[in-house]
Amino acid sequence: MATNPMHQFSVHRIGPEIKIAGIDLSFTNASLFMVISAFTIFVFLSLGTKEKNLIPGKLQLISEMLYNFIAKMISDTAGSKAKPYFPFIFSLFTFVLFCNMIGMLPYSFTVTSHIIVTLVLAIFIFIAVTVIGFIKHGLGYLKLFVPSGVPKLLLPLIIVIEIISYLSRPVSLSVRLFANMMAGHTMLKVFGGFVISLGLLGGWLPLGFSVALTGLEILVAFLQAYVFAILTCIYLNDALNLHH
Amino acid sequence: MPDTKDFKTRLKIAKSKLEKNMNQDDEKRGSFIGFAFKLGTELVAAVVVGTIIGFILDTWFDTKPWLIIIFFFLGSAAGMLNVIKTAKRIQEES
Repeated sequence: MATNPMHQFSVHRIGPEIKIAGIDLSFTNASLFMVISAFTIFVFLSLGTKEKNLIPGKLQLISEMLYNFIAKMISDTAGSKAKPYFPFIFSLFTFVLFCNMIGMLPYSFTVTSHIIVTLVLAIFIFIAVTVIGFIKHGLGYLKLFVPSGVPKLLLPLIIVIEIISYLSRPVSLSVRLFANMMAGHTMLKVFGGFVISLGLLGGWLPLGFSVALTGLEILVAFLQAYVFAILTCIYLNDALNLHH
Repeated sequence: MPDTKDFKTRLKIAKSKLEKNMNQDDEKRGSFIGFAFKLGTELVAAVVVGTIIGFILDTWFDTKPWLIIIFFFLGSAAGMLNVIKTAKRIQEES
């Protein structure tokens, strides 16, 4: 049995090695769990929307709640102009949520506990939002870096600071999700290790902690997916409704 | 007996009201926890990005270590700006 708390994060290859142009594109356990998450979402939503009853069943109720939740979040934070981006934010939220939640199952792998996964998602959002901003406002989007009511003397300094603040968006977005997931899962594993090493006599206290932490981790899994999606909405809002 | 019945219905109404309020509080608290998680990384991320930009520019212009120092402080300022922006957003919402 692996007692190393970081062992759960190791990525290993499943099946044959695939190399294209010197880049390792083999199918790993990380890719497997991404496929599982996407497949679970697909099955869950297609079952939930199959029967359209006036009085919804359990699955239909959950999928409708999910839809309403995201729709409300987008209209609250980014306004009605963001409606066309609903499919993107919906898939983003459900994907992150299911990756986090499937990671909570024993013996599974948490895809979002790897910074490369969250960073790619965040950089994609960052580039998309920047492109949308420039398409909607042209060069006027650069006004985002020039806050109103700043003395001219300070302007060069403020612009540099604003640009750094803008560039820090994908970093903070990805690091937050990755750090929360990794820290939580490491902590669970460490407390699990305490239960084993303290045995029947002293193991009950860490076991209790483990149970409490599992509850907390489920909260964090949901919360981080929510924060990830709501920040995307906020960035989208900056790009769509330019008012600084 | 009508008195106890009356009391029971009133208790029921009061309980349902209380539950409603508690649920609302929970929802609000949930979003505040989300914001609280947000603030810390917001500050650190800008410092990291600023320092990285400084490092890249330093190797570019061969001016070690001046730009990395300057951009570290600019990054810290950007981090504080991020936190202030987020705090303002929380204030607007509540």
